[in-house]
Amino acid sequence: MNIQEQECGAVRVLKPDGPLTDQGADDLKSRVDGLLGGGLGRCVVDASATQYADSRGLEVLVEVNEQIARTGHPLKLCGVNETLRQALELTGLAAQFEFFADANSAVRSFL
Amino acid sequence: MADEPQPESGVPQRVRRVLRDDLHLTSLGFGFTAILLTAMAAATWWAGRTQDASLHQAHTERVRAVGSTLARSTEVLLAHGQLNRTRRLVVETAREANLTRCRLLLPSGQILADAEPEAITQIDLPATWDGDAPPPPPEADCLCRTFPLTVADRGTLLLQVAAEPDPAADLFWQTRAGIGAVCVLALMILVLMHRRFRKTFRGIWAVRRALMAHLAGQIAPEALKVHAGWGVEAEAWNGLMDQMEKAKRRTTLAQTEESLRLQRGAPNDLSAACDALSQGLILVDGHCRARYLNSAAAVLLQVAFEEADDGDIAEILPEEQVVEAVRQSTRRPMQRRQIFEVERTGAAGRVLLRFIVRPVRREDSAVAMIVIEDITQQRVAQDARNAFLAQATHELRTPLTNIRACAEMGLDEGKDDPTVQANCLSTITQEACRLERIVGDILSASEIEAGALRLNVDDVRVDDLMASLQADYAAQAKEKEITLTFDLPPKLPVMRGDREKIALGFHNLIGNALKYTLGGGSVTVRVDVEDEHLVAQVIDTGIGMTEEDCQRVFEKFYRSPDRRVTQITGSGLGLGIAREVIRMHGGEITVESEPDQGSTFTLTLPVAEGVAVA
Repeated sequence: MNIQEQECGAVRVLKPDGPLTDQGADDLKSRVDGLLGGGLGRCVVDASATQYADSRGLEVLVEVNEQIARTGHPLKLCGVNETLRQALELTGLAAQFEFFADANSAVRSFL
Repeated sequence: MADEPQPESGVPQRVRRVLRDDLHLTSLGFGFTAILLTAMAAATWWAGRTQDASLHQAHTERVRAVGSTLARSTEVLLAHGQLNRTRRLVVETAREANLTRCRLLLPSGQILADAEPEAITQIDLPATWDGDAPPPPPEADCLCRTFPLTVADRGTLLLQVAAEPDPAADLFWQTRAGIGAVCVLALMILVLMHRRFRKTFRGIWAVRRALMAHLAGQIAPEALKVHAGWGVEAEAWNGLMDQMEKAKRRTTLAQTEESLRLQRGAPNDLSAACDALSQGLILVDGHCRARYLNSAAAVLLQVAFEEADDGDIAEILPEEQVVEAVRQSTRRPMQRRQIFEVERTGAAGRVLLRFIVRPVRREDSAVAMIVIEDITQQRVAQDARNAFLAQATHELRTPLTNIRACAEMGLDEGKDDPTVQANCLSTITQEACRLERIVGDILSASEIEAGALRLNVDDVRVDDLMASLQADYAAQAKEKEITLTFDLPPKLPVMRGDREKIALGFHNLIGNALKYTLGGGSVTVRVDVEDEHLVAQVIDTGIGMTEEDCQRVFEKFYRSPDRRVTQITGSGLGLGIAREVIRMHGGEITVESEPDQGSTFTLTLPVAEGVAVA
C-alpha cells in the first residue's frame, strides 16, 4: 500500500492511501515502527484516504498506539471517516486514540 | 480426659478402604457374581448326577424284575415241554422290555431260545441234560443279568438278559455339557464386562477420588492429577489441573510483582499515572541513582527501561551539566530548580530536550527529581514563527518603502511635472494593491495556522468556475502573449465545497503559471474526472524549478533563489495557502517540474457521492 509521509516540523504525518487491511495494515505497522525508532512518538496517522479497516487494521492501530503510549502520547488520528470511526467505537477502541479534523490540528497538538 | 481415637489395626482399615472405593466394590460385585454363577452350575451338576444315579438304579431293577419273571415262566413252560411257547415268550419279552439280549443257554453252550430266532443252535428240547451253563462273556456297555434256571426232571440252564444302558444317562451328560458351556460363556462375558467397565469408569472414579482428596485438604494440582491414560475424563481433569496450576503461578507472580513494587516504594496506581505522563520523570536518590523513571523518560533518553532503572544517573544522562545539577540538588536539598535545554542528535535526528532538575524536600534524605520535556516541535514552531514574522515584516516593508519614496518624489518633483506625478501615483496604487494582497495572504495564512479558517460549503459548479477563471486570466495572458488553453471535458460535476476557497487555489496555480512563463509560452489548464475525483492540471512552459524548489515551494514565504524569480514580485505565501485550502476539502496539490522545462501542478479534489453531473 502507498503510504505518504509528510514532515511537519518534528512531527511525521503518515497518510495510508487505501483501506487498512492485511498487507496494507502490516505496511503501516512497519512504517510506524521505523518512525518510532527515532521519532519519540511524534507521529500522526492521517486516515483521510483510508476508507475502512478490517480486524487486522484495527489490531495494527492498537499495537501502534501501545507503542506510542510509552511516550505518554496516545496515537493521533486525523481525517477519520464515519465508517472507520464507527468501527473503532463499536469495538470499544475509540477511547484509546485522539481524533483531529485534519493533519494540521493534530500536528499543533504537539505544541 | 476424653478418650483419644485409637488407630485401627491394619486389616479392618484396609477392608474399610476397599469398601469405600467404588472401583474395588465393583470388582467385588463382579467376583461375587462369578462365584454365584459357578455355585449354581455346580448345584445343577450335582442334582443331575443324583437324578442320573436314581434312574440308573431304577433301570437295573426293571431289567432284573423282567429277568426274574421270565425265568420263573420259562422254568414252568420248559417243565411242561413247551419249547415253542418258551421261545415266543423270550422274543416277546425281549421286544416288550427293549432287551438287547435274551437267551436260554444249555450247559453245553447250545442256545435253546433267543430273542433273535436265527441264533438258536438247539432246535429240540432235550429230555435231560447235565452240567452247568458256561458264564457269558462280559460286555462293557450293556446291563447284563444271568439267571440260573432249574427245569424239573431235565436239568439246569441259564437265562441271559441284557439291556442298553439308560438313555437318560446321555441326556444327563448333554445337560452337564450345556450347563458347563453356558457357565463358561457367562463367566467370559462377566470378565469382559468387568474389564470394559473398569476401563470406562476408572477415569471417572479416579477424578472422584481426586475430588475427595481435594475435599480432604489436598490442594496441590500435581497431587490431584490422575493417570493420563484413563480416558477422556482423566485427560480433561488433568487439563483442568494444568490450568489451575498456571492460574496459581500467575497469581503468585502477580502477587510477587506487587510485593516487589511495594517494596520498591512505587505503588501500582502511582506508577501507572507516572507512565501516562508525556513528560519524562526520574527520581534520583542521595547516591545519584535513579530510584524510579517512567516509560516516557526511557523513550526520551533512548535507554532500555530495565538498564536505566536503579542505574547511576551519570550513565543515563550524558549531559554533564545536568548530572552536576542533580548532584548539587542531592547535596543541598533546599536548592532551587534548574532548567537546561539540551540538543541531541541520534537515531531520532535532531531532538531538543528540556531538563528541569528539582530538589524534593525530605527530612531523612536528599532526593532530586528530573522532569524531561521534548520541546523539539515547539522549537521548530517557534523558529518558523520567527521566520514568518521576519519575512512578513520584510514583505510589508518593501511596498511601504516604495509608497513612501513615490509619495516623496511626487511631492518634490511632481509639483511641476504632471508626468512624474502621474507615475508616482500609479506606482503608489500598484504597491498599495500589492500591500493589500500581502496582508490578505498573511491573514489567510494566520487563519490556517490558527485553525480558524472555516469553509462555507455549498454546491460548486465546476463548469461555471472554469468559465470565470478563463475570463479572469484571458486579458493577462494576451498581454504577455501567452497561449492560455482550458482543456475541459464536455460535462463537469457539481461538487460540494467552498467556491471562494477552491477558486483561490486555482487562482494561485494559474496566476503563478502566467507569472513565471515568458512571452510566447503557453499555459494549459486540463480538467478531468477520474475515480470520483476532480483532477486539474496546470501545465506551463515556464522557467521551471529545481528539485529543492519543488520540495519547498509550498513553505510559507519561500521563494526560489533563481534571479528570474526574485525579479518578479511575490510573497511566497500563495501556493502554501492554495494547498491548505485544497487539503481542507480532502484534496491535494502536487508539483512536477524541471528547470527551463516548465512545471505541472496537479490539483485533486474528491467529488461527493450522489452529486449530479452538469
